[in-house]
Amino acid sequence: MKILARKDLADVLKNWSDSYDVFAPGIKETGDIIFDRFDADTFTLDYGKPSLPQKSEFLPQSEVIFEMKEGEYREVLAGNGKVLFGMRACDVMGMRQSGNFMGRDVADPYYKAKEEEVLRVVMACSGPQNETCFCTTVGSGPSAERGFDLQFYDLGDEFLVEAGSERGKQLIDDDPFEAVDDAEAGTRKEKFTEQASMAVEKVPAVREAMERLRDGSVSETVWDYFGRKCIICGGCAFVCPTCTCFNVSDYVTKRGEGLRVRSWDACLFGGFTREASGHNPRGTQALRVKRRHEHKLLYFNETDILEGLCGCVGCGRCSDYCPVHIGTLEVVQAIAEE
Amino acid sequence: MAGLAAAFGSGAMTNSIAEVEEAELFFITGTNTTAQHPLIGTRIINATERGAKIILADPRKIQLADYADIHLRHNIGTDVALLNGIMNIIIEEDIYDREYVEERTENFDQLKAVVGRYTPRVVEQITGVRASDLEDAARAYATTEKAMLLYAMGITQHATGTDNVKTCANLAMLTGHVGRPSTGVNPLRGQNNVQGACDMGGLPNVFSGYQQVANEEVRKKFEEAWGVENLDGKVGLTITKMMAAAQKGDLNALYIMGENPMLSDPDSSHIELALSNLDFLVVQDIFLSETARLADVVLPATSFAEKSGTYTNTERKVQIAHKAIDPPGSAMDDWQIVCEVSRRSGYPMHYGSTGEILKEINELTPSYAGITRERLVTGYGLQWPCPTEEHPGTPYLHKGKFTKGLGSFLPCDFKPVSEVPDEEYDFLLTTGRVYYHFHTGTMTRRISILDREAPEPLVEINPDDARRLGIRNNDGIELISRRGAIKAKAEVTDRVPQRVVFSTFHFHEAPVNLLTNPVFDPVSGIPEYKGCAVRVRRCA
Repeated sequence: MKILARKDLADVLKNWSDSYDVFAPGIKETGDIIFDRFDADTFTLDYGKPSLPQKSEFLPQSEVIFEMKEGEYREVLAGNGKVLFGMRACDVMGMRQSGNFMGRDVADPYYKAKEEEVLRVVMACSGPQNETCFCTTVGSGPSAERGFDLQFYDLGDEFLVEAGSERGKQLIDDDPFEAVDDAEAGTRKEKFTEQASMAVEKVPAVREAMERLRDGSVSETVWDYFGRKCIICGGCAFVCPTCTCFNVSDYVTKRGEGLRVRSWDACLFGGFTREASGHNPRGTQALRVKRRHEHKLLYFNETDILEGLCGCVGCGRCSDYCPVHIGTLEVVQAIAEE
Repeated sequence: MAGLAAAFGSGAMTNSIAEVEEAELFFITGTNTTAQHPLIGTRIINATERGAKIILADPRKIQLADYADIHLRHNIGTDVALLNGIMNIIIEEDIYDREYVEERTENFDQLKAVVGRYTPRVVEQITGVRASDLEDAARAYATTEKAMLLYAMGITQHATGTDNVKTCANLAMLTGHVGRPSTGVNPLRGQNNVQGACDMGGLPNVFSGYQQVANEEVRKKFEEAWGVENLDGKVGLTITKMMAAAQKGDLNALYIMGENPMLSDPDSSHIELALSNLDFLVVQDIFLSETARLADVVLPATSFAEKSGTYTNTERKVQIAHKAIDPPGSAMDDWQIVCEVSRRSGYPMHYGSTGEILKEINELTPSYAGITRERLVTGYGLQWPCPTEEHPGTPYLHKGKFTKGLGSFLPCDFKPVSEVPDEEYDFLLTTGRVYYHFHTGTMTRRISILDREAPEPLVEINPDDARRLGIRNNDGIELISRRGAIKAKAEVTDRVPQRVVFSTFHFHEAPVNLLTNPVFDPVSGIPEYKGCAVRVRRCA
């Protein structure tokens, strides 16, 4: 482990920018926090929970997977050296779960090409970032146990910096990172994570809901209630670190030329499960909302969730953003209280 | 908008979207809010979970019907009768806001005389709504402090659209529901910047900020600012009148921007005739729309993501948007195209950026004077009127006093739809939109997932009617009106009442406006999209 003085952080990011595309939180004129190319003038550490997980780095909202030109087609495989500074542990868990899913059976080359090129630098949380955080319940935070290249622990005037990979280690090889006694660093890290974990309240309803779903004792009334008010925006899936469903479509750009594009999709949309005959096995919005939450809490793949509890990583964004409050927290609460 | 301007002195949503959260009751009519203004819809749903009540007046069983405490499924086109009936009860039961009516309004006696004729029994016969439901609605709306009235095109798209709006305004004034937070008469505008287009003078009779072209002083101000002489004081044509003039040969050239009348105007076979009768048609759009295909010159414009500028939304809020990506090919921003056309026509415009245009708007438009670029980039928008740079903007209008002084009751009598069903054309066709598509689908039908969700035109038909005509779900059916015929698939659903069919105007495969009736509101010129007579038959 190493130590970095707080005052040196911006210079470090600037240095990294020479060899990498460094993405870091910045504050805009309106006060919004955006993860964008590092800019010393707008850079901030007071960014809380990033408004979106960084899944679009590997699975862009929309991406061309091959082009058709002059009678030939050319696969588009792109990845470039990128540092994501300031990731949260829950999002790293989401990325790892998704990475596992996209890598097993048949590896997804478009996803993997990007994944390999990205360095993940985590800022460990010292407590909940807002009232919807529940990483300690699902085992994804407040700090990452693996899957990062570097992890920063904010100790005030300085950061404790932990390397999680060989590439990460190289980034902190030189000045201004200073060596620190491993035993002492270990104690400080332990103290930090212990306090942080205590600060993030557990949500017992998550496990209760998972058990009740396993028992099959959840009545349809719960899903009818949520399905009735869902406005089918798909926002919960788009902000979810572990939602990776996409649709594939072809576009003709000119005569004889075209693109195949894949774009984010969501199981909340009727067309997602509608069959060619017109029949839809998830024929109502209640069934579609149910499907989404069962996928996270019941029908997840055991190997994909890694050390996590389930297919939800507890970032709380669905609860933050759903305009009618159909997030994991509201759903598990409704199930537990039923 | 004309109706509200006449009653209140200002043709816009009186209150703000955020105020929906605090309302105790909603009177919702002619707006399928969760489908067409979904985020406003979600605020309504959230408010009901907090205990707010909903009175829904809509012939269709829309998503909000699930949340409505009272659902008035009145016959199509009977809005004036329905609302007059409610006012009749409110006056009869003496639960109107006497003090408000006396101090802030005029013409009450006339209103009383007109609505006096709309007794519950009469209204029941016209609208099909039970008198007891009408009474419940009247009492709930009149006696709730924070009651918001929301409407959209279900109110305006009738030959009596202006009457419908005036009647909504009458009801709100009668109960003192204008000029306070979480109340008001709130037309939800159908496009992100249609309020802005009107505000900027995209109407035949006004310059920006509703300054009348007929007013000489106003003209003088604009003449000085633009360095020209003799600006025309004559009121121009509405779009529907332009089409008629083109067909007659009185109009030679048309320059259309971002509009697709080939699908969106009523009786569209006549629109094609009208457009082909022009000597010169220019269309400026982001895609080659059905209308652009007919043009002599097509000017490629930029999409929202490719340009900077401001939009004025339904709650009169001006917000700034920044360019995110470069436009493809030779596409240019609309303002740049207009400047270029103007330069080549002999009047060079010297705007360097949208910021400079906004500066001119600030100088020439009193209600926009304080809405400067500097303030917009550092905040989340400003609501007009905002007369100075220190002014915080106006979340709700008519506080203490109406824009025009006293609010005017403008009572109207009920007039039925222009084309009442008869033996030959025995259904009423009403048109609208679905959640997934915007207008004529120029943009949304090019988005694979949106088009997957709603890939084809559907015609909603009631199960009883379907059974009678031997129509099953997904059967092909034909709708025939006096003006044309279309084929589409049937969606058998009780969302529509008996003897009513509903379809949308998104699909060029079945352009529903081949069928609609080209009759217009005499004031606003809006066509009667919401009701025309058709007959329905099953087809292969």
